[in-house]
Order: sequence, then C-alpha cells, then structure tokens
Amino acid sequence: MILKSFILAFAFLLSACVATGVREVTQNPQFPRQHELTETPFFPQELYHCGPAALATALNAIDVKVSPDQLVPEVYIPSRKGSLQIEMLAAARRHGALAVKIEPELGAVLKEISAGNVVLVMQNLGLSWAPSWHYAVVVGYDLDKELIWLRSGTFERFEMSLSAFQRTWARSKYWAFVALKPGDLPASGGVEAVISALITYEKNAGAAKASVAYAAAAKRWPGNLVLLTGLGNSAYVTGDFTSAAAAFREATSAHPDSAVAHNNLANVQLAQGEVKAAKLSAEKALQLAGGDQKLQSQIQKTIDEINAYSIKK
Amino acid sequence: MNFVKRLFSAFLAASILFTGSIQTVQAAMISTEQVAESSITSQGNQDRTLIVAALSREDVQAALVARGIDPAQAQDRVAALTDEEASVVASQLDTAPAGGIIGAIVLIFLVLLLTDILGFTKIFPFTRSVR
Repeated sequence: MILKSFILAFAFLLSACVATGVREVTQNPQFPRQHELTETPFFPQELYHCGPAALATALNAIDVKVSPDQLVPEVYIPSRKGSLQIEMLAAARRHGALAVKIEPELGAVLKEISAGNVVLVMQNLGLSWAPSWHYAVVVGYDLDKELIWLRSGTFERFEMSLSAFQRTWARSKYWAFVALKPGDLPASGGVEAVISALITYEKNAGAAKASVAYAAAAKRWPGNLVLLTGLGNSAYVTGDFTSAAAAFREATSAHPDSAVAHNNLANVQLAQGEVKAAKLSAEKALQLAGGDQKLQSQIQKTIDEINAYSIKK
Repeated sequence: MNFVKRLFSAFLAASILFTGSIQTVQAAMISTEQVAESSITSQGNQDRTLIVAALSREDVQAALVARGIDPAQAQDRVAALTDEEASVVASQLDTAPAGGIIGAIVLIFLVLLLTDILGFTKIFPFTRSVR
C-alpha cells in the first residue's frame, strides 16, 4: 500500500517536470522544428487592457487596421478589469475577421504558426485557486529549445518554455482562436470548427465577405451541404445569382435528397426568371420534405412566391 | 408616473421582441444556420431577446452607467453574440428555482446573470473575465 502511494507520488513528480502534451509535439516529425512570425505588430497593453491589446495584435496581423483604444469599448468591462472570451470572438467578427476556435492542443497552435497564422490564447498566469487571467498572442516557437514566443502584455517578445506555456494555457481549458481574412482557412482542425465560425461570420460580417469565406471552405471540403448552402445564400444576398445557382446545383447533385438545397435552388431560379425550372425544383423540395412541418411551410412559401410571380407575368 | 413608466417598458420590450424576430435571409430561402443545426437556431433568438429585454430595464441601465458601460454598447455586444453563445448565457435560466412567485424569481435570476456578465457579481462559471 505504502509502496503504491510512493509510486503514485513519484509519478506526480515526474509529470511536474514536463507538462503533458509537450513531449508529443517536440518528438513529432510532422511539425517544422521552429518558426516565428517576426512581422507581427505589437501593441503594448495599458493597465488591464490585455484583451484589446491582444485582439488589436491579431487583427493588425491580417491588415485590419484597428487600435487597442478603439477596441476597448467593444470588449473591455471596466468593473471586471477584463474582457470576456465570447466578446473577443464577437469583436473579431465585427471587424471582418473570420474567428475560428482551434483544437485544444499544442499541436494545433504550432500548425497555425507554421502556416503563418498568429494564435490568440487565453492563459491563467496565476494558479487555479488564485487566477490571473491573461490574453496573449503566440507568434513563434522552437521545438529544439522547447520555447514559445508571445506578444504579451508590455513584452514585445515574451519568452516561455513550452511546458510553462502549456500549463498556463491548460487552465483556460486550452482556449485559443485564429483571426483570418475572408478566404483564408485555419491550418489545423476539421470542418466543424470552420462551419460554426462561418455561420456566425455570415451574420456579422455581411454577405460579400461571407461568400468569399464560404467559397474557400467549399473548395477545401467539396460537397459539404452546409458550406454549399452558405455559399449559395450569401451569393444570393449579394445578387450574384449565377454563383448561387452553381452552389445549389452542386448541393442538389451531392445531396439529391436535401429538401433545403432544392428549395433554395428554386428561389435562385425564380430570381433568374426561370419560372418553370423554379417550379420543378420547389415541387421536388416539397416531395423530399417528408413529414417535417417547418420545412413544408417554408417550401410552400417558395411555391406561393413562384405562383405570384407567374400571375404577375 | 408609475403607469407611464410601465407603459414605456412594455413598449420597449415589445419593440425589442419584434426586432429580434427579423430574419437575416429574405424571401423563402432557408438559412445556412437552419441547415447546420435546426435545434439551436430558434432558441437563439429567444435567448437573445431575453437578455436584451433585461438590459433595457431602467435599474439595470442605471447599474450599467454606474459601472462605466454605455447601455447602447451593451446591447450591441449582445447583438454580436451568436445563437450558440446566447444560448450558453441564457441556458442557466432553465435552472432557476421554480415555485412561489416564479416571475419575480426569474427576473432576479436574469439580473444576477447580467450583473455577472458585466462583472459585478460572480455566480456563473461561464462569465469568466480576464486581466
């Protein structure tokens, strides 16, 4: 029994030397050994404004010209002397950046850095029971030296060991995101994170930017129904009916049983003045809707509009 | 005077409700969001409306001003939240203690939630703020 607890204690001691997840990346041949984005601008934080400063760094890195002072009223909460995570994402979107949360692992950060995307991270520089929350921007790393560099607080090139970074980052449950120009995609992660970022982006950034961003994602993940719907919808809003029709045609051929794809195609065809084709698409959509009442009523609205159009003619 | 106040807040609540229900995609197009996750969408607008309605309360507004936050800015911030994020913020409403004068309790709960978001209380774990 005593031996067992000794072994356990020893195991804990060992694990305190190198933070979990660090060895996995330093020994992984998949990552470039070092990379640093030296051109990343720097905005030293004033008072408790690490949120606005980090966000300004990430946004200016993709040529969105905005100062920390401009961001203060958007993300800073005076009485809390800080910024909420959700608002950091929302503010990035408001300034036209596609904000994608990355996978909660060190490997994802390295992938983004080596692809040229700085990573905005949340750290707890204190302890779990005495937190000192902080936002910073990872700009570089060296796996041989086991170091990572950040634009952090008042330090332009803040150096941390990978282990120390990993521990302070772990306390925020590995919270991190990349802010991208529309048309760029994160180097790490799957389609789900990009989809959820794109849907919010479509609402905040406007249809023109959204359609560029959707087009890039639909190219990387061809045949994805959500991405094609997003591309078609945003193109439709900008008045680019040709692209919208192309997107929904691709959606109907990749997902022939999708009522939504056929319904939206019908709307685009109607906008193009192809009433007959629109009617066929809408009828097909209604067939496919099955017992879904919400869908049925939405498709019925499309059919009503097509009929109203025919009467006007 | 009290009656006028009430009338005004009712009007405010109603106008917010209506702006909340305006859809971004026009015609009979079905939104991307609906395709992605039909379940969260309808909830999102309701959640957002709840939060915005509470933000419009006079006492909350006074509290906002006292804390150095422009009430209009606060509403903009809520508007910028995604449905999913709004759901996270408002999901705690479901766990409000039931029974008794439910309306009043829910109201207190809402105010607590808001004060939490704005940083003068710390009831819910998801409203972490940083330095």
